[in-house]
Amino acid sequence: MNDQWTDRLSEYVDGELANGERHALETHLATCAECRAIVADLRKVVARAKALEDRGPTRDLWPRVAQRIRGDRPVRHDRRRFSLTVPQLLAASIALILLSGSGAWLALKPRQSAVVTPRPDAEFAVLNVSTRRTDAAIADLQEVFDRSKSRLDTSTVRVVQQAFTTIDRAIAEARAALVADPGNAYLNLHLADTMRRKLELLRRVNAIAAAQS
Amino acid sequence: MPRQVLEVTLTADSVAADAALAASGDATAFERLYRAHVNRVHSLVRRMLDADEADDLTQDVFVRAWEKLSTFRGESAFGTWLHRLAVNVVLARRKTLGVERGRFHAGEDSLEDVSGRRETPEVAMDFEEALSNLPDGARQVFVLHDVEGYRHEEIARMLGVVPGTSKSQLHHARMALRRYLDR
Repeated sequence: MNDQWTDRLSEYVDGELANGERHALETHLATCAECRAIVADLRKVVARAKALEDRGPTRDLWPRVAQRIRGDRPVRHDRRRFSLTVPQLLAASIALILLSGSGAWLALKPRQSAVVTPRPDAEFAVLNVSTRRTDAAIADLQEVFDRSKSRLDTSTVRVVQQAFTTIDRAIAEARAALVADPGNAYLNLHLADTMRRKLELLRRVNAIAAAQS
Repeated sequence: MPRQVLEVTLTADSVAADAALAASGDATAFERLYRAHVNRVHSLVRRMLDADEADDLTQDVFVRAWEKLSTFRGESAFGTWLHRLAVNVVLARRKTLGVERGRFHAGEDSLEDVSGRRETPEVAMDFEEALSNLPDGARQVFVLHDVEGYRHEEIARMLGVVPGTSKSQLHHARMALRRYLDR
């Protein structure tokens, strides 16, 4: 069977025919059982394709991948600008920005965020005070989280703990780097921002835990 | 926020964190990304190329991803970015093999080969196997459109053909595969 509509049936199934053609085809379908059967089959094929399950390789490919990437660290545009530890801090910073939906727009401008603009010492003093306050707030919220995390299911707590591990590592690395270079504008801002992210995450998780009670 | 939404969000955050860490050279974070995505990538590669190429190409995809991670800016989900990269690696491989153009327009005979086997129980194929026996052009378009959800305009750009060719190949593929719906 191959009438004038046969080759257009997939377009009909996909809703891609113009109104006039669609009406004409539907008129044809009303009288052509064969085309109706094909349309039904095509719809099943589409559904079957969407339901195909992914299967992985029969052997573990990671050892070979790991071997190939060993010694081949990706080159970042900002690597030349900082010491070896700063790219890691920057990466962690991006991760932390992504942890917050409200901060996602910053991720769209990673190069601008990596540009260091020297700030007057007075501003660092303000940052230090702010950091101490944030420390205290984090400690309070951490205490609340420790008390209330039993209200969350274990998989959620696990993911949250992983995020905290990442954040805490970034904070520790920033603080260690600041010991060696206390006037570094990027590191000061990075530390303050990282702590703020932890604060935001703690507030969010605690609110959700409270809602579970 | 409902718990399920939170979990999905936090899982996505975890993937984004791993992507950022991997971009800075953290191979452990990259292994987590590999474990989370290898099944999808391998399935895509296997469906678009021959099964015996799938392992090698899957490795190539992840090595390429490692090399290109610094270009991942987080505008899309990491999985979406990786998937598009995998499609590009597969298409590049096909060009290297020198089969794309020639076999894209051939294929009616191959389609008949696929449909012709269905009547013989001893060589019965399941749906995935029948898919792997489609001629290359129809197979690519079917996988990209019906399995992976790309639009004809996108597929046409990827394959260097006009959208009408993509539509035509898709229809031929579906017509051949409808014979294997129950397998």
